[in-house]
Amino acid sequence: MTPDLNHYLLLGAVLFVSGALCMANKRNAIGVLMGVELVLNGASINFIAFARFNPIFAIEGQIFALFVIVLAAAEAAIALAIVLNFYNNHMTVDVDTAEELKG
Amino acid sequence: MNWFLDVQEHPGLLYVYATLLPLASFVLLLLAGALRTALRPAPGVSGSNLYYLLGGDAPLRSGGYIATAGIGSAFVLSVFGFILFTRDYNAAFPHHDAQPGHAAVQGQGKTAEKESDDKADKRREQFDGHWKDSFDWAWVKTGNSTTSAKEGTVLKLGYKIDHLAAIMFLMVTLVATLIHLFSIGYMGEELQPEVEDHQVHTQHGSLRRRGRFGRFFLYMSLFCFSMLNLVLADNLFQVFLSWELVGICSYLLIGFYFERRSASDAANKAFITNRIGDAGFILGLIIIWTYVGSFNFEDIFHKVRAGEKDPSNTRYQFAGQVVRGEKVGFGEGTEKLRITPDGSEVVLFPLKGNAENIAEDKTVPTKINPGAGDFGTMPYWLLVTAGLGIFLGCVGKSAQFPLHVWLPDAMEGPTPVSALIHAATMVAAGVYLVGRCFPLFVPESRLVIAYTGAITLFVAATIAIVMTDIKKVLAYSTVSQLGYMMLALGVGGWVAGLFHLVTHAFFKALLFLGSGSVIYGCHHEQDMLKMGGLYPKMKITALTMLIGVLAIAGIPTFSGWFSKDAILAEALGFVHVNRQHGLLFLLPLMTAGITTFYMFRMWLLTFTGKPRDHHVFEHAGESPGVMTVPLIVLAFFSWVVAWGSNPLNPEKSYLEEQIHHAQHLSVTADFGMVAGAGEAAGEHTETVEHFTHEYHALAGYLALGIVLLAIIFAFVVYWFKVLDPAEAKEQFPGVHRFLWNKWYFDELYSAILVRPALTVAGWARGFDINVIDGTVDFLGRATVRISSWNGKFDLGIVDGLVNLTGNVIFGIGYSFRRLQTGYLRSYVLFLVLAAIGFFAVLSYFVAKTAAS
Amino acid sequence: MGEAPHGGAEVINKNSGEMKIDQVFLFWIIAAMTGLSSIMVVVTQNIVRAATWLLFALGGTSGIFFLLGADFVGATQLLVYVGGTLVLVVFGVMLTAQGPFISMKTGAAEWGVAMIVGILLYGVLAISFFTGNPLTVVQPNQITETGPNTSLSSVTLGESLLGIEQASPPGNWTGAKLPANESSGSEEIKKVRKQVSYLLPFEIVSVHLLVVLIGAAYLARAKRRRGAIA
Repeated sequence: MTPDLNHYLLLGAVLFVSGALCMANKRNAIGVLMGVELVLNGASINFIAFARFNPIFAIEGQIFALFVIVLAAAEAAIALAIVLNFYNNHMTVDVDTAEELKG
Repeated sequence: MNWFLDVQEHPGLLYVYATLLPLASFVLLLLAGALRTALRPAPGVSGSNLYYLLGGDAPLRSGGYIATAGIGSAFVLSVFGFILFTRDYNAAFPHHDAQPGHAAVQGQGKTAEKESDDKADKRREQFDGHWKDSFDWAWVKTGNSTTSAKEGTVLKLGYKIDHLAAIMFLMVTLVATLIHLFSIGYMGEELQPEVEDHQVHTQHGSLRRRGRFGRFFLYMSLFCFSMLNLVLADNLFQVFLSWELVGICSYLLIGFYFERRSASDAANKAFITNRIGDAGFILGLIIIWTYVGSFNFEDIFHKVRAGEKDPSNTRYQFAGQVVRGEKVGFGEGTEKLRITPDGSEVVLFPLKGNAENIAEDKTVPTKINPGAGDFGTMPYWLLVTAGLGIFLGCVGKSAQFPLHVWLPDAMEGPTPVSALIHAATMVAAGVYLVGRCFPLFVPESRLVIAYTGAITLFVAATIAIVMTDIKKVLAYSTVSQLGYMMLALGVGGWVAGLFHLVTHAFFKALLFLGSGSVIYGCHHEQDMLKMGGLYPKMKITALTMLIGVLAIAGIPTFSGWFSKDAILAEALGFVHVNRQHGLLFLLPLMTAGITTFYMFRMWLLTFTGKPRDHHVFEHAGESPGVMTVPLIVLAFFSWVVAWGSNPLNPEKSYLEEQIHHAQHLSVTADFGMVAGAGEAAGEHTETVEHFTHEYHALAGYLALGIVLLAIIFAFVVYWFKVLDPAEAKEQFPGVHRFLWNKWYFDELYSAILVRPALTVAGWARGFDINVIDGTVDFLGRATVRISSWNGKFDLGIVDGLVNLTGNVIFGIGYSFRRLQTGYLRSYVLFLVLAAIGFFAVLSYFVAKTAAS
Repeated sequence: MGEAPHGGAEVINKNSGEMKIDQVFLFWIIAAMTGLSSIMVVVTQNIVRAATWLLFALGGTSGIFFLLGADFVGATQLLVYVGGTLVLVVFGVMLTAQGPFISMKTGAAEWGVAMIVGILLYGVLAISFFTGNPLTVVQPNQITETGPNTSLSSVTLGESLLGIEQASPPGNWTGAKLPANESSGSEEIKKVRKQVSYLLPFEIVSVHLLVVLIGAAYLARAKRRRGAIA
């Protein structure tokens, strides 16, 4: 069947959900980072899909996706810096050890 | 107050001065003593010069001198007064008859000396039998002033001098002066700065206290003033004032050694017993005030007893008697009384002017609110009550049965006190008042008086037989002799009773002072059983006491003989007329013998025989001169005071005659005539008075016989020692115990009066402790309990709520805390969940808008 | 407006008909691959393998982009995302993948919770797609024939980024065929469609990147191990 907007949206949802789950589940800090990438990608797919199927958003969608990609890169850089710092200080990347904010 | 200084016009002022002199010495001693006490320094510090001038740590003897000087000058003034008075009297009534009623009441003075314009003569012209004057002291507003008889009623203080008052004054001042002298020596122990009282035990041995020499004379001066005021008084109010004052002085003096429990108890007993009598006195005063409207003696007698003559100079049918009537007829504002001898009402005669003649069966108009010139009426029984009320006061004051219990205990005071107050003067005040108020007494009252006196004299004499304390013997003897006086007054021997009063004062004071001298010589030993054989050591005391004993026994030529014979004669006369009251003669006759017996017993035990206590005997000695001189003087007087023109004639006594002049009309009215019979004046047959004269000799011989028997008996027991009193005690232990315990009067009163009072007090205390205190405690505890509940409520509920709120919030917050796991992944999960929720809601709303 | 998806421009597409069968086929392939890869990223325990699956997922995404006609974005995705970000991630993996950290297990309970939450989220999202009022959707067979490609050209993107607002002749910004005369055509499209310029966000992002660069450089500077305060 012809892929409709909904199909693309559902695909974007899959990516989004798996990215969220990845964030929620991975004990490795890098894994969490991967989840973030997935989420952003899912959102981009949504944007592009809407840009394609709705002429009103033709430019906005793509521009937005561009920006998302750029910002995701920036954010990944910083996040990695943080994780590496964390690794240097605690000798571990296990997210579960960072529980000093426990109330 | 110019009249105060006008002695020429008011010679009675001599007596007023004489009364005020002891008061002056009282005030002086009071001020000096107070000043000395105020200046007294702390121990160890030396005082100011004024302090030592006033005596310093020890009292000065000059206190005694001042007091003696006061009363001595009073005596001198009273001598002058007596002389002047008798001169005035003899000038006014030259016929010198027994009753002034036989001479004209007014205007007699004109037949006397013819000089005129002399104040003294003018005074003598108006002399009607007594000096009197008064000044207003207080005003009492009673009732409607225009129509009431009591309009402008005023309480007055005044004096009325007649023979009786003059003689009493002489007697009181003389005896008091001698006793003051005696006390200067007797109370010498009180001059020390520290006195040891062996009868009071503290934890450090006997009590040590300051000497109280000055205080003694202070009280004595006050007493003398009040007694003299009582003698002078012309109205019952003043009498009552002095009555109470002598009571206070008696209390203070009996309780002179107040650290001794026995002394303070005795003082209380005396005062309280007197007070019971005073209740009756006040009752009488109230009744008199209500119906008579005045306290003045003259006014009272004028109202209660009929006058002697009516305006037309005809003698009243009921001259000098109490007139009774029955109420008949009532009409606006007046009612009438019909004169009957047994009426239930008494006619009260108008104060002003002489009323018209009244006779039996005549009716007299009496106003309901009588004015000064109207007849009034009074229920008869109230008159009886008034008389008995006043008599009750006299019973208390003169220690008659049943209020005699205080006098023996009053011996706790120093001996001069016993001599002055409880022998010669204060106790005599009761008899004096009965004599003064004689017109108030109706036959029923007089019978009560007579029987009271008779019972008293007998009971007291029997108790005196077994007493071993020398002062107690004399105390009971005093009670007995006072009974004699009351008996005499009751049976109509007005003169005899008062005569005995005067003679008794002398020899009883002598006996007391003598016993004081014995006690002083034996170093305060009062028990006769420890004395004996003191004659060689104290000759003066022994001899003077012997004279006193002879006087009281009634040996011829001694003063007591005259008065006792008079009394017995009166009693015999009365009994002869009223045969049913025979006891009234038998008892005094028997008691005369008993009196003689115990008095000789006392003298023999003390001065004769072998000494029973060698320690006492060795230290015994005669008292100093200041004490023996009064004894000698008193002994002299107790021998000769009653002598008249013939010492051997008991009916001819100068003193008796003088007293006779003061006799009120009512005495002859009641006893000179048979009550109720309307006999003409001058006929004295079948009357008490008549029989008294007739049987005087018989009574005298009977008395003498019994007295001699008693003397022989006393000598047999105590001199020849044939009969042993110890044996008698063993044979009649019950009788002895009964007499020794004073007829158990104290126990009786304790049971019926004291114990119930204490029981009620105990109930009151129990009520106070249990109910009142219990209520207060209960309220207090309830308050505490309520406040504890309050506290619990506050802590539990109020604080609990607050705490609960905090805890709940804390719990909620704590449970929220658990959300902060610290794990990154759980945070992400929450994010995802939040996103889910957000989306769900959003899609719901979007769907809604899509549907619409 | 239930017929909204078919409302709007009644454009007759000469090339209408179905989509090219290869496009459909391609979509399903790429979609499957991307979806599978992303799910495998979650599932796998080994961090290195997860990185690999991520690589495939990102590649697949790029393919999707191309399929949707956003070739510039797709290219950028490959260049920047896969070639930059993913490399960065791999670097991080390499630096930290010491022995015990390579594969860290999560508990079964957490898997269970994750599954439930994931299904829930997916369900909600799916439902929200199918409900609501989507704006005009241009079907693929409604795409105008005027352009050789049915997607926006990169020129348009670049011009918008540069902030060029006016061009002569007026370009056809969208792929939608404008009516011959402006009086006809969809009012909504006329109202909505206007010149846009994204110069400012572009500049902001560049500054942002600069900041990030400095920040990352600072964060990653050499410091003592253990106890050093960053």
